[in-house]
Amino acid sequence: MFRSRSWFGGGWGRPKNPHSLEHLKYLYNVLSRNQTVSEHNRGLLVESLRSIAEILIWGDQNDSSVFDFFLEKNMLSFFLRIMRQRSGGSSFVCVQLLQTLNILFENIRNETSLYYLLSNNHVNSIIVHKFDFSDEEVMAYYISFLKTLSLKLNAHTIHFFYNEHTNDFPLYTEAIKFFNHPESMVRIAVRTLTLNVYKVEDASMLGFIRDRTAAPYFSNIVWFIGKHIQELDACVRNDADHLSQNRLADLVAEHLDHLHYLNDILCLNITDLNQVLTDHLLHKLLIPLYIYSLCSPPPTTSVRRVVEGTPTSSPRLEPLTNGKVSCVVALFLLSQVFLIISHPPLIQTLAWIILKTDRSTFVKGVDKLLEHYETEIRGATSQNDVASSSDVEEVDCTNVTDEEKQRMATTPGDCSICEKPFLEIVFNALDCVENDYAALFALSLLYAMANNKGVTPDLIEHVLRPKKSVVASKDIKYSYSNSIVDRILHIVLLSCQPACRVRLVTLELGLKLLAQLVMCDGKNILAESHRASIESARSQSTAFLRNFYKSEEIFLDMFEHEYCDMSKASLNVEWLCMDSAILLPPTGTPLTGIDFTKRLPCGEVERAKRAIRVFFLVRETVLMLNGELETQLPLTNPQSCVQIDQALDLSIARYNSDLIACTVALKDGQKIRRFLVIDILQLILVEPDTKRLGWGVAKLVGFLQDIEVTGDKDDSRCLHITIHRPLSNSTANRVPQLSAKFSFDDNIRCMAAKQRLTKGRIKARQKKMQHIARLLDIPGQSGPPSPAYVGAGIYTNRGRGSRENRPLFQTGRVPGFAAPRRDCTTGVVHRIDADRRRRDHESPSRVAMSNAKKDTGATPKSREHSTSRGGSKSREGSPRMPRPRSEEIPLELIKKAPPSSSATTLIDMSPKVPRPLTPRPMEPPTVSVVALPTVSTSSESGPKTPDVASITSEETSFIAENGSATPTRKKGAVETV
Amino acid sequence: MSYAYLFKYIIIGDTGVGKSCLLLQFTDKRFQPVHDLTIGVEFGARMITIDGKQIKLQIWDTAGQEAFRSITRSYYRGAAGALLVYDITRRETFSHLTTWLEDARQHSNSNMVIMLIGNKSDLESRREVKKEEGEAFAREHGLVFMETSAKTAANVEEAFINTAKEIYEKIQEGVFDINNEANGIKIGPQHSPTNPSLPGAGGKDGSQGGGCC
Repeated sequence: MFRSRSWFGGGWGRPKNPHSLEHLKYLYNVLSRNQTVSEHNRGLLVESLRSIAEILIWGDQNDSSVFDFFLEKNMLSFFLRIMRQRSGGSSFVCVQLLQTLNILFENIRNETSLYYLLSNNHVNSIIVHKFDFSDEEVMAYYISFLKTLSLKLNAHTIHFFYNEHTNDFPLYTEAIKFFNHPESMVRIAVRTLTLNVYKVEDASMLGFIRDRTAAPYFSNIVWFIGKHIQELDACVRNDADHLSQNRLADLVAEHLDHLHYLNDILCLNITDLNQVLTDHLLHKLLIPLYIYSLCSPPPTTSVRRVVEGTPTSSPRLEPLTNGKVSCVVALFLLSQVFLIISHPPLIQTLAWIILKTDRSTFVKGVDKLLEHYETEIRGATSQNDVASSSDVEEVDCTNVTDEEKQRMATTPGDCSICEKPFLEIVFNALDCVENDYAALFALSLLYAMANNKGVTPDLIEHVLRPKKSVVASKDIKYSYSNSIVDRILHIVLLSCQPACRVRLVTLELGLKLLAQLVMCDGKNILAESHRASIESARSQSTAFLRNFYKSEEIFLDMFEHEYCDMSKASLNVEWLCMDSAILLPPTGTPLTGIDFTKRLPCGEVERAKRAIRVFFLVRETVLMLNGELETQLPLTNPQSCVQIDQALDLSIARYNSDLIACTVALKDGQKIRRFLVIDILQLILVEPDTKRLGWGVAKLVGFLQDIEVTGDKDDSRCLHITIHRPLSNSTANRVPQLSAKFSFDDNIRCMAAKQRLTKGRIKARQKKMQHIARLLDIPGQSGPPSPAYVGAGIYTNRGRGSRENRPLFQTGRVPGFAAPRRDCTTGVVHRIDADRRRRDHESPSRVAMSNAKKDTGATPKSREHSTSRGGSKSREGSPRMPRPRSEEIPLELIKKAPPSSSATTLIDMSPKVPRPLTPRPMEPPTVSVVALPTVSTSSESGPKTPDVASITSEETSFIAENGSATPTRKKGAVETV
Repeated sequence: MSYAYLFKYIIIGDTGVGKSCLLLQFTDKRFQPVHDLTIGVEFGARMITIDGKQIKLQIWDTAGQEAFRSITRSYYRGAAGALLVYDITRRETFSHLTTWLEDARQHSNSNMVIMLIGNKSDLESRREVKKEEGEAFAREHGLVFMETSAKTAANVEEAFINTAKEIYEKIQEGVFDINNEANGIKIGPQHSPTNPSLPGAGGKDGSQGGGCC
């Protein structure tokens, strides 16, 4: 509590306890003796002012007599006197003074003390004092002081600041002078203050705000926003080369700040204020600048001339209305407006103008437009909504009656979009033939309008939302906007073409909007022709992706990664429209740092990535439109996977042989005894269950597809096993899940484990590749759809003896067997293969025979290719087995516990979509594993050296291949289609 | 008082975690911590020296303005550094960190340096959040971490200065666009570099100004 202040004056009988009434009295003496600030006493004054703050707060919390003394001696008046001196170093003192006041008002808890502090009007005198605002320090402390005061405002304290009689409100009027201060923190403080003021429910104060300040303040804001967006527009125009992205990002963020600020004001729901603000925004900014800018080139040059010829109705608007921004910028900004602001009177007017304005009113200019809107609204409310529903372009999913057609023809003014200039522009922007620059914004705008709560349903119904009408008796007729759906479907179809210029984000947004446009009451109301279009988009996207279907490891990894990436979060349009990067013309180069989905693909890998995404997006939409659930993706069904700490029944006879005891030595020196189990997709380390004999508890699980196994040079009983984290798990963390040395009892077991792991890895990958092939309708995979997910085979296969499975592995058991490498023209093989399989299915009763057939069918081929395969890859990772048969005991049959949980999983496994009846039950899933080497998936299924080096090298090979291999492959694939 | 750079900071975190006290403790050392006195303030500035250069820190507390989206957005955007504070004696203030961080990441510029601070480390007996948990959270999200006490002033200095050092390093690496004031960095009055690509240029005169404290 006691501290030394040797540097501070000393003497004068300063009390030892700094927190006491005595000390305040002492400080009072100091102030009274040093009423004039000079070079010599300013240090003393600063310290005294600081100490006063400290004592007062201490007093507020501990001893009320302290505050009484402060008020009694009217010490605030000293503050004023010091402030008003223009002597040297006063800014130094002023800063401390302001900080003392800040501390005072920030920390006082006793309400009475606060009232006393405010009561003598000294605070208002301090507020209006002209500090040296060119000093950034003074400015910062001053504005913080005002802001701190504004946080103390409420229905009681407001009267200390707003004087009803003199009609004076210095706190507010002084603050708003700085609303456009160059320092951002100052601007923010001013905004905070204004919002804190508006928030106070005091009618007379709000009356003052509206009558005295609203018009100038709001028109200033509006003017600055207008100026700001012209700057933004200039930045976009002059930066086709993406050179000033930072600046553009700031301008966009700033515009968002403005809109959020306006929205925050509007959301306070102060009727009078909102009216003034809405008026200003509509008349001076949103309609003349934002909406009329839609007509600036490029999309409709003809319309533009009309506008230019129109004299602006108000001379004050000249600077804004003349300097229009480009159409893309206008679309972008309007999207932001509709995404952020939801004040109904404002939003409804804007939406009405965009959707309904006809050409005759359009040419008359802003004021006429608004007048027209007013009369229309009044008319509409009296006439019910009959009129509004008929003047939208009329199309429905059933049949347009002749009557309707006639009416559409006879009332062109109402029905044709070309008579609605703004809507026409938005629609025309959806045209993506050249690129999707404007289309993305047009979609955002339509989406934002359709989802804004401030727009009444009747306005957007039928244009942006499906329309449901009851015809005659109880017949429900659905309809939707034909022209917009046409255009979106066109974008979707374009996206499925190779070398198109539509970005992924545009496709995703288009599909999102499409879903809203045609989904009604849980079903889609698409017309036949549109249904056909989306179906054809689906098959085209599938065909397109087939071209990229490669059996290189990277394809599978990419496929899973993209799926995972995509399912993490669906497109958030509000976030999209915060990204300034989309304001620049679409580009392909990743060097701009623009997110992949928001630019065009660059290089073969990215083109493949894009094709995968397009496939997913279209597939998702088609499933959704058909009311189906996704049952095929992701490739790994998490529910079929063994989890850590899950108990497994290892007592099953066929399972025993697959338990390999080992000691796992971790990098940190820790050694654990475990049993190694290899499931279909997973590697599992179990520890015996202490509660149940023959059961084991999974202590570590990893995906076989991500493992890497190498032998130990010095110890033939050891393996080095690394389990990499799945690529699909796209955390930045690329540390392997496990990297350890496994020691086995003898070198035979070690070899067995190695073989099993290596094979397990290949098979796990093959299984997935095959699954993808089926998704892509690649011939040869035309058999029954796979079990809902890879890995589900465990269940369908349960209870089947291992004997039945055993022969199926025969092809794989040829020592040194590996799948033939697929050459680029295997289309014929596929067909043969498919035929063979079809034959098999035709006579399910001959399963046993068919198995045999398969063996004969496959073996020669694998022999045929074995030579070519041999040279393709190093076999280091998978040495031959001494006893090849031992490794073939199927592992798929692990029974999971508790049984109840496996039962539920089983239900989950079952396909949710009705599938064609297939002979699947007769065909153990392992058949596919056997068949695999002969089908297209097999091309790369040969032995893989499962080490990182090979993976990375494959990545490069993927790229390197671009030049030569891919075209041929594509060709081949197309032939097979 | 001249400076080479001005860094703007914001302090974020639940109410009652001691943000304004930390701020005052750092900006005005003369308020020595006393057990029966809690004082805070919403704004403060202080000069520090890094690498022989005078750097002014301006710290803005954002408390009480969470209701307005426009305000929080702008604050985040205008800052070069953020102190994300929780109270080690109140578990819930720690649980809310994720939300705060999401907000910060969404609105701030991507280069903003965020320092995680577990405040009230003097109240060891009432501790609810282990230091290791704070460390783990910081590691997971790539933040710098420190436990402080505004009461005893432990680590307060370090927290602000280390953040500044990191910002300074980023400037040296050229990550921050120092000519863009929207990033929360300002070049000192006499330091407007003749060659903007060399932020270190003209640093010699940076030592002339005396600190205010």
